[in-house]
Order: sequence, then C-alpha cells, then structure tokens
Amino acid sequence: MATVETTIAGASRRQSLLANEWVRFAVRRLGILVLSMWLLVTFAFGMIHLIPGDPVRAALGFNADPALVAARRAELGLDQGLLTQYWTYLGQLLHGDLGTSLQSRLPVSQVISDRLPNTLALAGITFVVTLLIAVPLGVGMAILTQHGRRRGTELGYTSGAMVLSAIPEFLLAVVLVYLFAVKFQLLPIAGRAGFSSFILPVAAMTLGSAAAISRIVRVEMLSVLGQDFVRTAAAKRLRPHRIYLRHALPNAMTATLTLSGLLLSSLVAATVLVENIFAWPGLGPTMVSSILSKDFPMVRAIVLVYGGLVLLINLVVDIVLAIVDPRSAIRKA
Amino acid sequence: MSSLEFRDVGVTFGFGPGALRAVDGVNLQVPDGTVVGLVGESGSGKSTLARAAVGLAPLTTGSITVDGTPIPRRGTRPVQMIFQDPVAALDPRMTIGASLGEALAVAGVRGRRDRGRQIGRLLEQVHLDPELAVRPPAALSGGQRQRVALARALAAEPKVMIADEITSALDVSVQGAVLNLIRELRRDLGLSMLFISHNLAVVRYVSDLIAVMYLGRIVEIAPTEQLINDPQHPYTRLLLSTAPRLGATLSAGRLPDGVRDVEPADPHDPPTGCSFHPRCPVGPAVDPGRTDCVTDDPFLSIDERPHRAACLYAGRHSLRKDPA
Amino acid sequence: MSAANDHVDASVDSTAKDAAPSSGKPVSGRRSRLAMLFATPVGIAAITADLLVILLAVFGPIIWGTRAETNDFDNLDSGPISGHPFGTDKLGRDILARVLVAARLSIGLALSATLIGIVVGVLIGTMANLAGRRLSRVFSTFIGIAVAFPGLLLALFFAVIFGAGPTGAVLALGAAMAPGFARLTQTLSASVVGRDFVSAAKVLGVSRLRVLTRHVVPNIAEPLIVNATLAAGSCLLAFAGLSFLGLGVQLPSYDWGRMLAEGLNAIYTNPMAALGPALAIVLSGLAFNLTGELGAQLAGRRTTRGRRRQRGAADGSDDQRAPGAGGLPAAADTPSSDAVLVVRNLRVSVRTDGGTIEPVRGVDLTVRAGEAVGIVGESGSGKSLTALSIAGLTHEPLEVTADELWFDELDLRSAIGRRGRAQLGTSLSLVFQDPMSSLNPTMRVGDQLAEVATEHQHLSWKNARERAVSRLRDVRIAAPGRRARQLPHEWSGGMRQRAMIGMGLMGEPKLLIADEPTTALDVTVQQQVLELLESTKQQSGAALLLISHDLSVVSSVCDRVVVMYAGRIVEELPTADLEHARHPYTKALLRAVPSMDTPREEPLATIAGRPPDPASLPVGCPFAPRCPRADDRCRVEPALLPVAGRRALGLAACHHPHLDPVSESGVSIVDISKVGAPGIGETR
Repeated sequence: MATVETTIAGASRRQSLLANEWVRFAVRRLGILVLSMWLLVTFAFGMIHLIPGDPVRAALGFNADPALVAARRAELGLDQGLLTQYWTYLGQLLHGDLGTSLQSRLPVSQVISDRLPNTLALAGITFVVTLLIAVPLGVGMAILTQHGRRRGTELGYTSGAMVLSAIPEFLLAVVLVYLFAVKFQLLPIAGRAGFSSFILPVAAMTLGSAAAISRIVRVEMLSVLGQDFVRTAAAKRLRPHRIYLRHALPNAMTATLTLSGLLLSSLVAATVLVENIFAWPGLGPTMVSSILSKDFPMVRAIVLVYGGLVLLINLVVDIVLAIVDPRSAIRKA
Repeated sequence: MSSLEFRDVGVTFGFGPGALRAVDGVNLQVPDGTVVGLVGESGSGKSTLARAAVGLAPLTTGSITVDGTPIPRRGTRPVQMIFQDPVAALDPRMTIGASLGEALAVAGVRGRRDRGRQIGRLLEQVHLDPELAVRPPAALSGGQRQRVALARALAAEPKVMIADEITSALDVSVQGAVLNLIRELRRDLGLSMLFISHNLAVVRYVSDLIAVMYLGRIVEIAPTEQLINDPQHPYTRLLLSTAPRLGATLSAGRLPDGVRDVEPADPHDPPTGCSFHPRCPVGPAVDPGRTDCVTDDPFLSIDERPHRAACLYAGRHSLRKDPA
Repeated sequence: MSAANDHVDASVDSTAKDAAPSSGKPVSGRRSRLAMLFATPVGIAAITADLLVILLAVFGPIIWGTRAETNDFDNLDSGPISGHPFGTDKLGRDILARVLVAARLSIGLALSATLIGIVVGVLIGTMANLAGRRLSRVFSTFIGIAVAFPGLLLALFFAVIFGAGPTGAVLALGAAMAPGFARLTQTLSASVVGRDFVSAAKVLGVSRLRVLTRHVVPNIAEPLIVNATLAAGSCLLAFAGLSFLGLGVQLPSYDWGRMLAEGLNAIYTNPMAALGPALAIVLSGLAFNLTGELGAQLAGRRTTRGRRRQRGAADGSDDQRAPGAGGLPAAADTPSSDAVLVVRNLRVSVRTDGGTIEPVRGVDLTVRAGEAVGIVGESGSGKSLTALSIAGLTHEPLEVTADELWFDELDLRSAIGRRGRAQLGTSLSLVFQDPMSSLNPTMRVGDQLAEVATEHQHLSWKNARERAVSRLRDVRIAAPGRRARQLPHEWSGGMRQRAMIGMGLMGEPKLLIADEPTTALDVTVQQQVLELLESTKQQSGAALLLISHDLSVVSSVCDRVVVMYAGRIVEELPTADLEHARHPYTKALLRAVPSMDTPREEPLATIAGRPPDPASLPVGCPFAPRCPRADDRCRVEPALLPVAGRRALGLAACHHPHLDPVSESGVSIVDISKVGAPGIGETR
C-alpha cells in the first residue's frame, strides 16, 4: 500500500513541476516577445537619427527653402530633445498614430490599412498553396525513396527541387510574366483584379518555396522513418498507411511547423519584390517609393508593420509547437 | 603519487525549484597508491563528482584537495581524467602523436625530438605500437583509443587519476585488456585512482576500496572484500544481488513485493529522511514499523556506523534478516 | 530577399555526428573528401561553374568593357539581331556585353556582403561561447531574436540610413546574414566544446586560445565553409533583388539586378533584355548553391557510411556452407512439431560500393515452445541482424535469404498475407534496446498498446484501451489507468521496456524476441525487466529469444545459449554447461569479463586483437587471428556447425575445441573434427 501511495505522490509532484515548466515557458516566451517588440520599436525610432547629416536636408535637397526645412523638422519633431521625441513617439504609437506621409500627405495609418490587406491576401494564399503542395510532396517522396529505394526518382526530384529553390521569386515572376502575360497573353500582367490576377504572383512565390520546403519535409520524414518507434510500429504489423500517417507524420510535424513559420516570415519579404513586378496594390511598392523619396514616417511605419507581423508569426509558431510537441518547448524553457 | 580528498563537496545545477543537487555533501578520500572504486546508478552523481575533481563542474560547497592543496581551476590539473566515450575522447582532426604531443607540451616537454621520444614511451607504456602515433583516431579501435586517452592523461604526470566508466562503451572482448592495464599501471607507477563504474564486478576487480553512491551522497564505503562480503547498507546489498554473476538465477536477487517495481527516485525531488527508503527492501515499504527512515537523516551519526553506512539500521541484526 | 539564413542550419545535424568512427583506413579525411567532390560529374560541373563565374568577374570588364559602353545608334532598343545576340538597350549598348561586364559588380558586392556576414557572425558566435555563462545566455537570446527578423527589415533600415545605394545594400545583406552565422558558429562550437577531447585538453591545462585554434576551429571549419558557399549563392540572388527594386546599385553603375529592372520595362520589345541578366543571376547562383549542397551531402554521406560499417560485419568470402561440413551430412529435416521458430541457413547480405558484405552467414536456429534461448555476441557479430531478419524488420539495402524460415507454421520467406500479418502481429513480439526511442513520442502509451488489438483483433478502441490498461497492470505498472494516458516522455526507461513487453501481451504471444532489452538500463532496473521477461514467459507460455552481449544476462534467464562470431554461430550449449564451453572464443569471453567471482589477484584473460574487420574476413576461421589454439588448418578452413535440427548441443565450430572431462548437463563430449557419423542425439 505504502508503495502505491508514494508513487502517486511522486507523480503528482511531477505534475506540478510540469505546470511549473509551462509557466516558465510562457514567461520566457513573453519576455522574448516584449524584448523583441521594444528592439523593433526603438530601431524604427532610431533609424532617422542614424542618418549622417541632417535627414530633412537629405530628403529635400541642399537648395531647399530654409523655411520649408524648418517646418518639416518641426513636423517630424526633430527640433525637440531626443528623449522627448522618444516619449512622444511611444505615446503616439500606443494610440495608433503613425504620423503623416510626407509624400502623399495622407495619414500613414490610412495608407497602411488600405494596402496591407492586399499584401496579406497575397502572402496568405501563397502560404496555403505552398504547404498544400510541399507537405504531401515531401512526405510522398520520403516514403517512395526510403531505404535508398528508387535512386533515379530521388535524384530527379532532389536536383529539380534544388534548381527550383535556387531561382529567386522575382526572376520566376519575370519569366512567368514573359510567358503567360506577354507571349501567350493568358493572364493579366499586373494589378489586382479578380482571381486570375492572383495566379502569376502566387505561382512565382510558391514554386521555389514549395520546392525548398518539400525537400526539408522529405529529409525530416526520412529521419523519422528511420527511428526506432517506427520499427516498433512495423513490429506490430500495422498497415503501412497507419505507420506513415499515425506514427511518422506527427513526429515530422515539429520541423514542418518551424519551417512554416520561417516560410511565412520570408513570404512577407518576398511580397515586396513580387508586388513591385506585378504592380500589386500592397505595401511593397509603397515601401520602395517611400525609401526612394525619403518619406520617413511611412518607412518607419512599414518597418513596424513588417517587423510586427514577423514577431506575431513567430509567436504563433512557438505556441503551436508547444502544443504539438511539449518536450521541445519545455526543453527550451 | 598522492591522495585526493573530497570534503563536504556539493554541486548544484540550476537554481530555484528546478535546481538539481547532483552531489550533496560528499566526503571521500583516495589515499596514496590506492584505487577507490565508486559505484552507483545513473543519476547518482558519480560522474559529476569526477568532473568536479578536475574542475569541469563548479563546486557549490566544500573543497577538493590533492595533498592538502586545492585543485586549480586553470592550467594543468594535478588530477587527470579519462572519459567514457572512446569516440569523443580524441580530436578526430589530430593524429595520436599530435594529441599526446599537446599534452606533453603543456607538461613542459620542449623540443620535437624529446617529445617524439616521450610519445613513443607513453604508447609503449599502454601497450600500443609507437608506430600508431602517425595515425588518426579513426584508425584505432575503441580499446586502443581508451589506451591513448590513458597515455595522454599520463603525459601530464598526474598525482591522481580519475577513470569515469572507461570500459562501459567497449566491446566485451577488449574490456579485459584495459582493466589489466589499469591494474598494471597502479602496480608499476603506484597510481592513485578514482575508478567510477556502474558495474560492481568491474569495480570489485580493480579497486582496493569501494564507495557506493546514491542520489548524490556516499552511502557506504569500505575495503573491497569487506564491502562485498558484509555490506551494511541495503542499497549496497541490492547492487550486490543484481551484479553480474554467471549462472546465478534471477530469483536469487528477487526483492520483496513492496519494493520490487518501485521506480528509481527523481534526483530533482529526492525523498525525505533516508532517500533510499521508498526502494529499501528492509525499509518502511516492507516493514511498516520503520517510520524513522522517512523522517530521520541517516547521515547524522555516520561515523559511528560500520562502513560509514548511511542507514539507520546498519550493523543491527534486523538488517541482516533476509525477507525472502 | 530573406537573405541566407534559411540554409544556414541545414548541415548542423550531419556535422554534429562528425566524429563517428569512419573507415579503418588511415587516410586524411579532408583530402579524400575533396577527391570525392571532384570525382562526381555534378561535382566537376559545380567546380567548373564556380571557376567560370570567378574568371568572368575578374576578366569580364577587361575584355568587354569598351563594347558595353559603345552606343550603336542604328539599333536602339532592338531585339536580338546579328552582332547583338541579346539585343541592345535604349542607348544602343550591347546587352550581352553589359551582362558579362556586370558580373564583376554583381559578384563582388555579393561576396563582400557574404564576407561581412560571416566575419561578424563568426565573431559574435564565438564570443557567445567564450563569454561567461550569464553573458553567453544574453548573447544567444539576442542571436535568437535577430535570426527571427527577415533580412528585409535590415535592408530597409540600412537603405534609410545610407540612402538607396550599394553601401547600404552590402551592409544590409551582411547584417542580415550575420545572426544566422552567429547561431551556426555557436551551435557547432558548443557541440565541439562539449566533447570529451576538449574537456581533456582543459584538464591538461591547454590554454583557451589553443583549445579554440587547435580543437574548435578545425572541427567546425568544414560545415562553416559549406554554409558560406550556400550563403554566397543566396546573397547573390538577394543583392540582385535589391538592385532590381532600385535599392542597390545606382546609375550609371549597373549590375544584373539593375539590368533586369530596366529590361523588364522593355519586355514587350526585347524579352532578352530581361531574360539575359535573369539567366546570369540564376546560373551563377546555382553554381554556388550546387557546390555548397555537394559539400553538405558529402559530409552527410560520410557519416552514414561510417555508421553502416559499424553495424555490418563480414564480407562475402566465398566459403559456401558445405553440406555436411565437419563430416556430418546435413539431413533434410522437418521442423519438430513443438518448434515455434525454425531458421535454416539464414543469410543477410548488403551490396556496397566495395562489393557484397554478408553480416549474417548461414545461421541455423530452432526455438521450441516455451523455451528461452539466448544469443550472445559482440557488436558486429550479426546477432541483432539475425533477430531483425527473423522478425522481417530489415529493409533495403539488406537482403535476407534462408533455406527455411518458419514461425508458428507461417513461412516467413514468402510474402505474408493479411491473415499472416494479423498472426504475426499478435503472436510475435519484440523488445528493443533503447527504451527512450522505441515508443512513439507523440502517442499515448496506452494507445500504442491498444493499437495492436484494434488492428488485428477487431476490438473497438474502448475495449482495446481497457485491455491495454490491464496488460500494463500485468507488467506491474502502478496506476496503469492514469499512466496509459501519458506520453512516453513521462515514463522512465524501465517502465517503457515494461510497456514494450506489455505490448507483446496484447495478443497471444508465442515468441518474444528481446534485443539487448536491458543494456540501456541501470543494473537494478535491469533485474526488474529480466524478471518480468521470465515471468511473462512462464505465464503466457511464449518462447523467448534474448539477444545480449552480456553472458551473465543471458545465463540468468535462458535455458540454452547460442554464441555468434562474425555472422555465424560458433557454439550452442545449455546454460548450465557454459563453464565447460568448448569454443575458444566462448571460453575467452567468459574469462575476459570480470564477474563477482573473478579472482582479483590474477589478470583477466584477454583476447588479442579486435573483432574482425567486416570488409576483410579471413578465409579460414574468423577467430583464428585472435585464437591461441589456432593452427594452419584453422587459417584456411573454417570449422562449421552441422545444421541445427540434427545438431548435438555441445558442439563448437572449432577444429581444436576445449574438451572438459565433465559436463554438468550430461551432454556427451564430442570433438566435431573427429565425428564421422550423424545421429548424435539431442539432449535436454
């Protein structure tokens, strides 16, 4: 009797320890988030101050009217002390006030809310399509080529995938535009107008990343298939599909999830180029033009938006990971 | 050669509720020219104790001295160590000769020719062909690599040697040769050594004294024959009954029902009183009258008991009562 | 655009295991790998491409510089015509020439960005490791945060500070690459610093600087170089992207990205103006990537090969099993009625680059109902492979053949159907060595047991789970109902091995194969598991095939011991007779391993040499080179055991066996070399 009691007591203590580990995970993750946020916000603030010389003169040119320069300086708050500027900036940020665009004279938040949805739509659709292609392809190739089977298929697949993933999306976009919009004139060359306008930009971003991700999914799946517990499942004489789907796949998901996070962050970046090529009404073209015209409030807001998006994606991935694979989260914490 | 002394040594990893007291108040002496065997299961802290002795794990409490001098945290240590894994023991990018040469250089052997001669001598001392000096570790078998590791440790002319599970990763047919070498070196060089293993039979074979470690503490220590023939701590008895013995049947080591399937304790959360009490075949799990095992610290009057056994019932008649 | 971070981690894993013992040949690793890189056609292509790209960058502007600036006013904005294969631009300049000239700027800027990234990254990574414990935690947290941000943000940042131009772009890409390299350096060097040889160097008193230069750097250089090559490739692409956006190279300078942007405007009139630079970007990017990939693959392949080598044994030496070797004619025997397992002439072979290797070379084995048989051997003896191939769990490239392979009246040599699968799944069960990895980490333990019943016995999940809980109780798991709902990582090693045994009890086990089931466990837990195996055997009536390197483990549980060496059975004897083993190998094994009864005054018996090199087995008896009793005959002609069904226990595959006068089990003493007739009765 005594033994049973002690074991249970030990187990429940371990249980509370587990709860403790979750708390530690949450605290650590939150700490990283706050720290990253602060770094992002501060970098976005500091950007303008790191410009050698006078940023306003740099923007308006050396022959600009001194009165205009002074007015612009006041508008940007540059005539105040650095600390005051920082506090004002933080305060405005908390109220969602991102300033006014120097170029279009529109509130920056309005420009962002007009254009961000288009970027998100493009990135989101690409993300889904990429995973829908990459995961089944990677898993399938892993199963087909495990234990060094089908050397030919493997070679063809890996070299094809390698070449595809080495071609940057903007080049693919150019080629696709040339083929489908210029040569055969099947699809619209630019702009956002209905379903067909999505095809080329999404394809340009999907092909390379799907190839890259399916390769990594395949390698991950192969390594899971080589593990002892898969042999245990085989020793139970389970049907192959159960071994693959119920035993191997969930264990390959950890890496796939991490990858998806990376993919999503890199897609946010990839949209900039692709949007420029397809004249997509997203944030990408705005970003380039605001940098070239030194529209500082706009650039700062875009840095914050892109950075915030990436932080959000990382947070979601970490939380999902912690749910799917508690061990990895606990190990990190 | 000289003596190594652990005084009230404690090593704690981490802090707060998740902290692990890997080693907790260990007192142990390796006298001049003797081999002290240290046995215990995984998680008992024996490897941490070894690493602490060579400065690879930081002490939280206590001191480790060689002939009364504390072990330096930097520079050549007077205590050298051989590790468990023969694969990781040698730098794969260095030849055997280069590995030994590096040790000799630190020990103050200058000049190429001098070093070359010493390398040959060291290899011969561990019964290896001096020609092996030009080979990379990959060309050597596990047993040979362990011998090179031994030679490298000898190059530093240590006062005390620590061997941590040096045979457990080796094939059975080459273990014997390494153990023979250990005995031979001890005889010829008067080596003082702390020999760590989970295998009681191996420890028994090479050691003059045996210390038994459980959950970070030494629960019994005695000269080998005495410990084997007249164990005082029930944990030692448990280890003895499960030690490899050819032709022994399983039932010989069978434990009473109350403790037969108890899991080893969690080192993060050791039991109160005597930390062995949940698994003890003569403790409260079997004999409900022995509640003091759950509450009393068995280390309090340890010096008065035979073999310094950390058992409240050590030396008393009831311990010897075999429940089977 | 997301810079080069994505690739950076790819090879960490393969290099972490770098130190696995590779081939026994004393070849310097680095040289052979370079040779391997050159040897493949892809490798030659990659290196040629690299050279061409670099040559182009160096000599392009010198050769085509003038041509690229010459205006052909007759052909402004023209498509491909003779003299201008890629056409001309607005000012009538030849696009092909400009593409070739632009190579220097494109590649030069990409390489400088890569260089900045690597230098900064490696410095930060090294500092993170050299700094004290607290500081290095701070470092790695910051590296972690920095890695998470895409290079785009940094590009933005630098473009704002330095204005749109090459300086900002190079710094941006360098800065974007640095965190990835910092993390790579940190992980790699942490794994090296954690190894024993670095600890040994520290204990010896080797200085920190020397540890870094002599031990750490050489061991991480290779993966770093591989990743640097990959990074250079992606950097080239990223830089082209920045220039394409107008954030990189500014007019009048031009690189491929800039040219692409200009060409895109003219895509209707001259597609080659865009496709030309695009092609240049892709090809040079591919050249770098290909080289890096090859390097990474070679590093990976080397380790897998090393591992396979370790596992295998024996080469395809041409000694075919002579029927009736040793003078005993092999009788075509039928499996005795109570046998659950009959194995005749089991062979496992694997085809490698260097020919066929045969790790198991003709194993005969019979296990009767309720019997406990132990297979003993060192690593490489083929004992585990024997077990796996009996269970049908080997896969390519291993090839298994046998004259007979019966389990419970099921012929395992041919494909088993649906019913056979169910029969095997319920009556043959296995326990493997490593309890930490043999259960699925993402599935509740109870479900992993229950699965057997739902799959083969058509039980509902509810009933199957109930049975799983009761089996867990049978293998003496406390609180089995609660435990069944836990994931394996909440279980201790001993408990997991018991769960594996419980899994075998879900059906009606006839044979339990346990491959080193206690090797990974502590001695006290080992005892528990062995006891459980024995009581399971007794209660269920299943036979037990226990594989171990440890004679004392086998002897405590088994009735009969089979000793394997170099892929063959060299001796089979009752456990009680172990002390009177006849084969010199068995004999030596017994004396070489200290037991609690070994006299402490005498040196242990040693076995000279090492287990045979799998690639070059001797023609004769594989043990002959290590055997004190071997003579010339042993070196040319191996002694083989007769086929198992007709085999007397107490025979040794040896020309000069030890012949003890007394045998405890009463088996008559036979010298195999002198036996001329069959029919030695089986005892026991």
